[in-house]
Amino acid sequence: MKPVAWLRLVFATMLAIGVLCPPQALAQVPARFYWKTLENANAVPLIVESLSGNTNPFDPAHTVTPGAHFEATLALPGYARTFSLFDRAAVAAILLPMGRVSGDVTVGGRTFNQSADGFGDPTLEFDINVLGPKAQKNIPDVLRYEPGFSVDLLADLMVPIGEYDSSQPLNIGQNRWYGRLGMPIVWQLGPWVPERRTTLEFLPAVWLFGPNDNFVGKTLKTDPMFQVDAHLTRDFTETFWGALDAAWYTGGQASIDGVQGEKLNNLGLGLTLGYQMNENLNLTFGYMSTLNDNAPGDLRMNKFMVSFVYGWHPMVEGMRRLKGDK
Amino acid sequence: METVLQRLTLAIVRKPRNLRWLLRMLTIVGMVAALAAPAIGSAADAPRRPNIVVILGDDLGFADMGSFGSEIKTPNLDSLATAGVRFTHFYTHASCSPTRSLLLSGVDTHLNGMGNMDEWTAPNQRGVDGYEGVLNNRVVTLPQLLKDAGYHTYMVGKWHMGKAPSQIPAARGFERDFSLLDGAGSYWDMTNLSAASPQSVFTEDGRYLTRLPKDYYATKTYTDKLIEFIDANRGDGKPFFAYVSHQAPHDPFHLPQEWRSRHVGEYDKGWDAVRQERLKRQIELGIVPAGTQLAERMWFLPDPVVLAPASRAILGKKMELYAGMVENLDFHVGRLVDHLKKIGEYENTVFIVFGDNGAEGNDLFAMITGSPGSRDFLFAAIKWSQTHPNAWGDPGSYVSYGPMWAQVSMTPFSQYKGWLGEGGIRNALIVSGPAVKRPKGSVNHGLMHVADLMPTLLEIAGAGYPKTYEGRELPPLFGTSWGRVLAGQAESPRTEQDYLAWEIFGNRALLQGDWKLRWEYRSFGKGQWELFNLAADPAERKDLAAERPDKVGALAALWDSYVRTNNVILPSRSVFETLEDNLPMRVPVDPGYPPLLYKRQFVPPKEMLADPKP
Repeated sequence: MKPVAWLRLVFATMLAIGVLCPPQALAQVPARFYWKTLENANAVPLIVESLSGNTNPFDPAHTVTPGAHFEATLALPGYARTFSLFDRAAVAAILLPMGRVSGDVTVGGRTFNQSADGFGDPTLEFDINVLGPKAQKNIPDVLRYEPGFSVDLLADLMVPIGEYDSSQPLNIGQNRWYGRLGMPIVWQLGPWVPERRTTLEFLPAVWLFGPNDNFVGKTLKTDPMFQVDAHLTRDFTETFWGALDAAWYTGGQASIDGVQGEKLNNLGLGLTLGYQMNENLNLTFGYMSTLNDNAPGDLRMNKFMVSFVYGWHPMVEGMRRLKGDK
Repeated sequence: METVLQRLTLAIVRKPRNLRWLLRMLTIVGMVAALAAPAIGSAADAPRRPNIVVILGDDLGFADMGSFGSEIKTPNLDSLATAGVRFTHFYTHASCSPTRSLLLSGVDTHLNGMGNMDEWTAPNQRGVDGYEGVLNNRVVTLPQLLKDAGYHTYMVGKWHMGKAPSQIPAARGFERDFSLLDGAGSYWDMTNLSAASPQSVFTEDGRYLTRLPKDYYATKTYTDKLIEFIDANRGDGKPFFAYVSHQAPHDPFHLPQEWRSRHVGEYDKGWDAVRQERLKRQIELGIVPAGTQLAERMWFLPDPVVLAPASRAILGKKMELYAGMVENLDFHVGRLVDHLKKIGEYENTVFIVFGDNGAEGNDLFAMITGSPGSRDFLFAAIKWSQTHPNAWGDPGSYVSYGPMWAQVSMTPFSQYKGWLGEGGIRNALIVSGPAVKRPKGSVNHGLMHVADLMPTLLEIAGAGYPKTYEGRELPPLFGTSWGRVLAGQAESPRTEQDYLAWEIFGNRALLQGDWKLRWEYRSFGKGQWELFNLAADPAERKDLAAERPDKVGALAALWDSYVRTNNVILPSRSVFETLEDNLPMRVPVDPGYPPLLYKRQFVPPKEMLADPKP
């Protein structure tokens, strides 16, 4: 392979792998989210999800409403930029959820319907690698990148400025500050050759929630929720990959004016397929569903997700212009 | 003897009454000991003929070993150099099978069957004696003669001198062998390079293999096999000759993962810088004289200084792999040497180490598979398409390092494999062992040739080159024994009047004393005779043909004589016949030209800086 051709392949992978995805839905980001790339690369994701279950998918606390059934469609556009900090790879991102959600709650034989739409709470995300390859500051660094065993530190902060109607429990905005601290881990298994890459990835994290002092006139509090995401990913070809996904949640016990709800202790399984459409654009399709969710108090949710991530780097775009590819 | 002694001891301890029997036994033992003593003494005193190990690196360059100026770490090969002698003016042929034929027959290629490589036999050479493309039956081989002289003869590695049952190592004098018959192929399996010949052919002890051993990796397996051969006959009192014809470091650069990352980023500096560093070390080591100039960078290669870091990183990675190949080769040489030390044979073993031709700057893979839509391109798509650099070294990858790094491997010379510039035919040579009486670690500049190995090794083995063999009259030897040179009685096996000559692919050269006459296809050559004074200009930078027509004429006359003596038939077709059309026009390479690309940003004096006036 000629050097330039190889560079293009590297950039294609670099720019099109998921740089951003929604943390809200099932509180899980897709596999390969924390692979690293060249500093000063940019990405705009657009994630579209269709969800149903007995909890508001816009609420990462996954507070279960027994007997309820919610349907939601949401989209998450965003922007991310990579940079280096103290010689380590870092990424800063912002996501803005939007969409609609509606739900039926049957209580005592009567069914109540609610719905909400508009913009959700924006998410600010910061991630920095602490163990693994150093930041990729130039193209040779990109060429030599292999994650090996990489560990990051992750912080998410959701800003409570989304649509919120205090007269109803179902909302897109959550009317409280909340966020996540995590430690993404990427473990490379075998060679780092497109078509043969295999990784085992974990994201242990804790979600922390501030109180919502106006939850239908009451105070909603939620204990910290612990979450572990796991992915086994594998290339099928240079541009097509798949993942088996699992997510486990525990804690997150909610109380409304002191009345305690149930603790979460749930497991979800799913799969993801990813396809790199061209040098800039990556497409993923995923499905996830909770398991052992028949009891009224169990978290029950499933989602379909389609994501498009458009990535670019000024140098790569310039090289392409010079080559007359555009 | 042990039984007798035991019986004596028992007799003394148990039976005093057996004294008379004891005295009788002591008398017998004494007589036996008296008779045996002189014989034992003479066996111990008789000089044991040395074992001979020829280690051939395939496409290993002149400057690739640490002891010849390389940054590549070759401690085991260097230790042979430290224990022996390095020769700096040693010639092979310009490509592999011709060199191998010279090594094993001692006869000129145009007589021994390798007047051209089998892969490139020209229409006018077909059917002509000396141009069979295999080592022909008119010559006798070194292992045949050594076997006749009482040596065990072993071969491991690449053969490349014929695949038919009458042409394989077992038929040409090797008692034991584990051989790749092809000229190249995967190091991991039996995959070969072309659709027409998709599978490498191997033999083991004269039988064609249907599959390779478990955990096969060429360099490792060859070494394992040789150690097995040596051990199998150990103790029978016969010396052995081992031809260790490694495939490494010939492309494709296949090597285990742990050997791929020993030089990460080290070659990003580019080929010019590495060549300069190697030359500096070569001067310090006494390999080349102070004041030696590097050959011009090939005119079609970029100055790495003007390349983007990414390009340098990618191209540098190829050299990283090559360095790993050489270091892995050195490691397995070390295993062999260690084994010989362990079994007590090292001190009585002559080691001879060299590369078979200049480093490889041609793109063999592109030659075979480079045309999309061709059968070979499709074959490569299936078998050789692991092109991602992270897959380089794996089965299915094909990496070679190109002319830029080949020139590094051949520092300070010009050109590379296939050509008759010094970079194509001059190689590093190490000789160590009991035959060497020169100071340990010394450097010699005598004029040596690979064909000298036949008479030299026969002399070391106490044998001679016969006039006939099995009723056939043998062609004359091309080489000269190094016996006096190794003994420290001469500086060169040749006089100023002796000459060496080469012809391959239509390129031709002749060397006498300091003068070299060379004809090469354009644009590497001029399509006419060029003349170089190697003493003053080893890098062949200055063609003196116009200044010294007398010397050209004298050497050309010698060339004509060489042609007549050796039945040289210039090929009507050549691998290089269209080269000129495929390369940029040849221009001189002047450092820093054009300034347009090299002139740095002008920085005005600080005190004269100013903001624009409103």
